[in-house]
Amino acid sequence: MVLSVVASRTAFISQRLTEDVFHITSNFAQVAPCTAVFINKRWQSARAATYKQTILNVPETRVTSLDNGIRVATEDSGIPTCTVGLWIDAGSRFENERNNGVAHFLEHMAFKGTKTRSQTDLELEVENMGAHLNAYTSREQTVYYAKCFQKDLPKAVDILSDIIQNSLLGEQEIERERGVILREMQEVETNLQEVVFDHLHATAYQGTALGRTILGPTQNIQSINRNDLLEYIGTHYKGPRIVLAAAGGVNHDELVQLAGKHFGGMSAGYEGEIPVLPTCRFTGSEIRVRDDSMPLAHVAIAVEGCGWQDPDNIALMVANTLIGSWDRSYGGGANHASPLAAAAAEAGLCHSFQSFNTCYTDTGLWGLYFVSDKMSIEDMLHNVQGEWMRLCSSVTEFEVRRAKNLLKTNMLLQLDGSTPIAEDIGRQMLCYGRRIPLPELEARIEAVDAKVVREVCTKYIYDKCPAVAAVGPTEQLPDYNRVRSSMYWLRL
Amino acid sequence: MATRLASRMVQQGCKRFSRHSTKRQFCSTENAGGKDITSVSLAQPVSWIPTPKYATPSDIRHETEVTVLENGLRVASENKFGQFCTVGVLIDSGSRYEVAYPSGISHFLEKLAFGNTSKYKNRDLILQELEKLGGICDCQGSRDTLVYAASAETVGLDKVMDILSDVTLRPLITSEELDDARMAITFELESLNLRPDPEPLLMEMIHAAAYRDNTLGLPKICPAENVTAITRKTLYSYMQSVHTPQRMVVAGVGMDHGTLVETCNRHFVQNKSPIWSEDPAVVRSAKPVDKSVSQYTGGIVAVEKDLSNVSLGPTPMPELAHVVVGLESCSHKDPDFIAFCVLNMMMGGGGYHWMYNATAYNHAYDDTGVFCIHASAHPSKLRELVEVVVRELAYTAGMVYPDELARAKRQLQSMLMMNLESRPVVFEDIGRQVLTSGQRRQPTYYYDEISKITESDIQRVANRMLRSKPAVAAYGTLENLPKYSDIEAALSNKNGRMPKRFLLFR
Repeated sequence: MVLSVVASRTAFISQRLTEDVFHITSNFAQVAPCTAVFINKRWQSARAATYKQTILNVPETRVTSLDNGIRVATEDSGIPTCTVGLWIDAGSRFENERNNGVAHFLEHMAFKGTKTRSQTDLELEVENMGAHLNAYTSREQTVYYAKCFQKDLPKAVDILSDIIQNSLLGEQEIERERGVILREMQEVETNLQEVVFDHLHATAYQGTALGRTILGPTQNIQSINRNDLLEYIGTHYKGPRIVLAAAGGVNHDELVQLAGKHFGGMSAGYEGEIPVLPTCRFTGSEIRVRDDSMPLAHVAIAVEGCGWQDPDNIALMVANTLIGSWDRSYGGGANHASPLAAAAAEAGLCHSFQSFNTCYTDTGLWGLYFVSDKMSIEDMLHNVQGEWMRLCSSVTEFEVRRAKNLLKTNMLLQLDGSTPIAEDIGRQMLCYGRRIPLPELEARIEAVDAKVVREVCTKYIYDKCPAVAAVGPTEQLPDYNRVRSSMYWLRL
Repeated sequence: MATRLASRMVQQGCKRFSRHSTKRQFCSTENAGGKDITSVSLAQPVSWIPTPKYATPSDIRHETEVTVLENGLRVASENKFGQFCTVGVLIDSGSRYEVAYPSGISHFLEKLAFGNTSKYKNRDLILQELEKLGGICDCQGSRDTLVYAASAETVGLDKVMDILSDVTLRPLITSEELDDARMAITFELESLNLRPDPEPLLMEMIHAAAYRDNTLGLPKICPAENVTAITRKTLYSYMQSVHTPQRMVVAGVGMDHGTLVETCNRHFVQNKSPIWSEDPAVVRSAKPVDKSVSQYTGGIVAVEKDLSNVSLGPTPMPELAHVVVGLESCSHKDPDFIAFCVLNMMMGGGGYHWMYNATAYNHAYDDTGVFCIHASAHPSKLRELVEVVVRELAYTAGMVYPDELARAKRQLQSMLMMNLESRPVVFEDIGRQVLTSGQRRQPTYYYDEISKITESDIQRVANRMLRSKPAVAAYGTLENLPKYSDIEAALSNKNGRMPKRFLLFR
């Protein structure tokens, strides 16, 4: 009974999500059954010269650009509820050492009142229509979205436009929010996976903007002022960098009209200098935070992957799915599609592991995170790197086929409900400038065979310098030169 | 720098070209016939793939159809457009029926699910079959329902049903699998005690307190001493008496009802019989299913544990003591059920700055329910924490503000509709409703019922639950935990105040 599913009130939780670390990873045993998108697969072969037109049982993604560059993208499924939100091409990567944390701070301030709505008005208005308002900041994107009944769409758009254009940014509220963010920071620090990924970024992108955290250092959180916030909005919240995406029960033409009314006044251009995306250089290196009092070691190792648009991304995702993820409480013994999972289960190499492929505009981190006993770090790492070498040299068609099936399944099953679909539209519009039609995505995955996986993995993994981050009793973690020397085999 | 700018511009939607596409475009035009899709930028449409024909939102509403097969198995489904479906078997089985057996059976069944069957020699083969159909599977158990489910392309429905029937009726439970399950459960118990979030343990404790030694109060998590005690024979004996066709529903979303009934007939009635009915040696003498109605007892379960250092890392986590105070609400079949849900929504979550959190829950079952508030704070604040929780519960019978009620109703309606956006939720909703009542009510029914709730309904159900004895669960350092009798006294008092005690040293 749906009603017995209990929900606590979460309308105003402004959450922080780190990058989509586990956005598309496979989960071999514990995926909840769910299905959302329906496609007719008619591919004989992806390289075949002719493609039949497919009949999709999903609605079309419609895109319209406003004069000031804001893109409105929708998928209308006609259900009684919908998700609508702003996906903005701005995140902590656009900050410098001095204002690191401002993007996230701004996201917090959005819910603290506007010129016409006090914080309480805003909260009551949202709650009274049974809606939810949410926001998150990642390294490259800032997202504000609302979930509401179809008929409340105009109100939701009004509120979204109000909070990003007319936020008061009151001095008092800013002072109060510092405490909130510092507490959030403490909370993040108790999540060791997040801690390790922050370290991984810090070392892999040392000296560049991607190496900084989303929340920013304590002294910045204490010193960021109203001007910093205004400057950030003025520089980055520009028409061409904003996507208004919606899914569920949304009429495209209605939303375009609403967008014109509420966002038409936003500026498109720059008077001064146009900000340039800073280059983020990857450096193979390591950070170890040894603490023998911790019960388990948390280790991440990654090579430089590719940016969102790079065609190699598909093969890297297949490789990532092939390695997969595992947790020792899954059961199933050594019966796993992923050879690494089978080895981990058989030999008790770790408590859990998760393969990841985190993408940014022009770079990415492809690797693996694991949690293990202090005495099995070396064995685990040996197996991980062995698997990686196998990906580069001798991965089989059979494994690749399974991984492709799983990747497609995971991608399709993820698109369940209006919020995940709106997320997908918003993210793709920012990353690819379009939403990739499902048949095309399928054809692209289908075209990856064992040879492509071997080639692409060789290009990105083989004989490359990895970035390593480890927290806990890490004494057994081999020194960097040994880790590096396992990134190639003398005899392949 | 120029290339950076270029890729920047693509993002900004100014121009559609990038470093990659300009480079690759060259080879793809050169190669127009043979075209290598693996080298075309993801930002660039692949021109030789025709634009698909898209669906348009349809306003056709589908009713849930229910058919009872000759052996008593109920089949319920709702059609939806598309090539994918979610289908599964829901069984009226769970820890509440384990009284005559060692507790933990359902926990084992959950771990053993989708393992070796007489037809599929191992878990991996099942997964491979499903993967070919773009499918996945999962098994989840609650106190009164065990669900085996799969999502896959509808064209593969027959195969999926073959797998589901084999998994439910013919699991082999080999000794290796049993060892693996024992290991997995041991690991799970270990991490339950290790991890900072004690939610699953509190759920166990509040149920044990509310239904002492009967039905829903029986442990759902396998007790450590039973991990080795449960054998293949125990499991088969339990399944023989509990997993009967009359206690099962096959529910599906996204297929033709007739086809589903036909495949179910083939796989659950004609072609397969349960493995435990073939060989009497695998089961012990049959015990009848425990049909007892749950007895709400109230009472307290307090577990003293040092939680001063629960952090797994160098950053300390605040030390917390956890408390849950519950009262008997009602079954989800009860006319007051909706009013309890609205009350739950009205209470929501919140708390004072010194409280770590406080959240209201309403757990509803077939014949009973428990309404409770979970809260946690530093152990030194435990007494104040319980005072606040108790006062909140006592106040439910007081004044109801119309605007608060209206807001809660609206939020409940939206929660209902938003949850049903997701296909597996629809599947579970159909399955559970048919399992308990033989029919499925559409969401619009609940939507309308919610709008009918009035202030007096809320007060009525609040008074109803306040007449029951409290159930209390407490976990952590408990020296400041008030006495059970004080909590009980406070809840029978309109202002919810606990009896004052004079304490010289506080």
